[in-house]
Amino acid sequence: MSHVGGTPVLREPAHQVSPQAIGFWTVSAVIGDGLLVLGALVAWLVVPGAPGWVGIVVLLLAVVAVAHVVLMPRIRFRVHRWEVTDTAVHTREGWIGRQTRIAPISRVQTVDSRQGALQRMFGLASITVTTASAAGPITVDCLDADTARHVVARLTAITATTEDDAT
Amino acid sequence: MIPAPGSPGEGWSRLSPRKLLLDPVKAIGQAIVPVVVALIGISQSDTRFWPFVFPLVVIAPLLFGALPWLTTHYRLTDSQIQVRSGVLNKTTSTAPLDRVRSVDLEASLLHRVLGLQKVQVGTGVDDDRITLDALRLADAQALRTTLLRRREAEQPASAPVLPAEDGTAAPVAPVPAPALLARIDWSWLRFAPFSLARLVLLAGAVGVVAQFGDDLPIWNEETATSAWEWVTQFAVAMVALVLAVGGLVLWLVVSVAGYVVQWWGFRLVREHGSLHLSSGLFTTRSITVEEAKVRGVELVDPLLMRLVGGAELSTLATGVEDGVTQVLPPCPRDVAIGVGESVLDQPGPLTEPLVEHGPKAHRRAWFRQLGNAVDVTVVVAVAWWFLDFSWLWVLGVGVAALLLAAAAGEASYRHFGHALHERHLVAGSGTLARVRTVLETDGIIGWVVSQSWWQRRIGLADLTATTAAGAERVLVRDVRLDVAVALADRATPGLLTDFLEPV
Repeated sequence: MSHVGGTPVLREPAHQVSPQAIGFWTVSAVIGDGLLVLGALVAWLVVPGAPGWVGIVVLLLAVVAVAHVVLMPRIRFRVHRWEVTDTAVHTREGWIGRQTRIAPISRVQTVDSRQGALQRMFGLASITVTTASAAGPITVDCLDADTARHVVARLTAITATTEDDAT
Repeated sequence: MIPAPGSPGEGWSRLSPRKLLLDPVKAIGQAIVPVVVALIGISQSDTRFWPFVFPLVVIAPLLFGALPWLTTHYRLTDSQIQVRSGVLNKTTSTAPLDRVRSVDLEASLLHRVLGLQKVQVGTGVDDDRITLDALRLADAQALRTTLLRRREAEQPASAPVLPAEDGTAAPVAPVPAPALLARIDWSWLRFAPFSLARLVLLAGAVGVVAQFGDDLPIWNEETATSAWEWVTQFAVAMVALVLAVGGLVLWLVVSVAGYVVQWWGFRLVREHGSLHLSSGLFTTRSITVEEAKVRGVELVDPLLMRLVGGAELSTLATGVEDGVTQVLPPCPRDVAIGVGESVLDQPGPLTEPLVEHGPKAHRRAWFRQLGNAVDVTVVVAVAWWFLDFSWLWVLGVGVAALLLAAAAGEASYRHFGHALHERHLVAGSGTLARVRTVLETDGIIGWVVSQSWWQRRIGLADLTATTAAGAERVLVRDVRLDVAVALADRATPGLLTDFLEPV
């Protein structure tokens, strides 16, 4: 990010997500991409009279899938960061694009944590913080489960002290 | 109000007894087709059942009409409005008076004939409203005034209780006289044909006519062929002209009639700390939005209306069913801006020029639209590959799409822009229509800075202010990243401080 004059620059949030996340994202991507490539392959083999160039498309698809499985989790691990201060929640996510979200804690309405079956195998959990805006939910994916519990407890404690209806 | 005998406890009132007329008429209206069909069926088969059927047809609606009236009670306590209803399952809805955000009155033609009003009380939770259908006009208005005034009294900050001259405190805060913000001006009718919202309605009507068209005598084969000969004898162009003129006249009639029906007697009034809108020729609507819940306004100049200098204005509010409430009919831009400024309590945000987003954003606006044009052309080209039509079509569509895209890209860039005007964030958007959204910075409850891969290459970002009001987001598109961060930082002082790099 470049400085222009004295304009402020947003720094990245303080904490990374759990390193276990790389494994989790890899396994999810292998499952998803594997099904897709397999489906394409089967379709090519089963449909009678499919021209030869469809095979090349399937091959390309497989190459892209492998690249996705290898690169996506690593890039994503470098991009995903989060931070909770006494006044705000700040996250960054994405792998091709980037999304930075900031919400003041005084406007937080609910704090949820979620753990899917696959996430449980890797000891991970996700937190979602919602505000009164449909555009505003902030998700921190793939914290390790203990950290997630602590963060939820802390956020709940802070939001319990704010009183207005947060709109 | 009628103190009903046998009502459950103190202070409960029933709805207006005229509801006993309203509901049966409504029920008959809804059941008229099956009932008539049944009656015809019976009268054709056998007349013996008449003595049984006829009373049933009359009594059933009366009974069903009477039930809600018999079982529905409401009352106003010191702190709550309560409504009890239901025959077997009694439900009681309550709303704390200090949570009452809006009181809307509505009356269909039937309501108005009977002098009734339907009252809907909104409590700030999006879809939870208390409905009283129906009260006598005077009762409804008294209830509305009471509810809104009570709420105002609960907020001493906005309406201080002045100590009276003789030493006793005034019991109720002084209510400022209602201020008229706008009323219908029939010269605004000239904007009606330029507002395309009703085109959908017209299309529906045309569909209905087309359905009946099969039954009309002109479409038997003989007349059709002779008509066709006539058409070929005279010029086809003539027919096209007649159709065009006919469509235009039909459009004029429908749009003007629709405007009159919807906006008859339109008044926008500010009273008891609320904006109060009433209008309608047949069904009268009366919408009340608490001003403390209004977080901003949106000014829209639709493409056609801009040709004649018209605009539309909506308020962005929280805790209302649909956060965007249109508070003005299509009207001159000056009027919309004037009303908008008095709603915002500040001149400027609606008129001041916006900060442009620069040449890179300009290029992206073009590319986005050109991308659409390429998509369309590719689809047509693929169709040309498989089907058999002249390649000139592909060329024609391609050129037309490119020209349109260029125009749309240029227009959408000109509508881009942002500004921070004291307490208001202003964002310009829209491709064909020009949209200016003004949001109170107090209403911003978070930020999203979003960058696609392309945007990161050229240092642009989409900045979204999230809010509980209106469409729940305000988007500033394709702004330089550092400008976006600076804008967010200035709009919500302190929120970003912890996350900024030391300069």
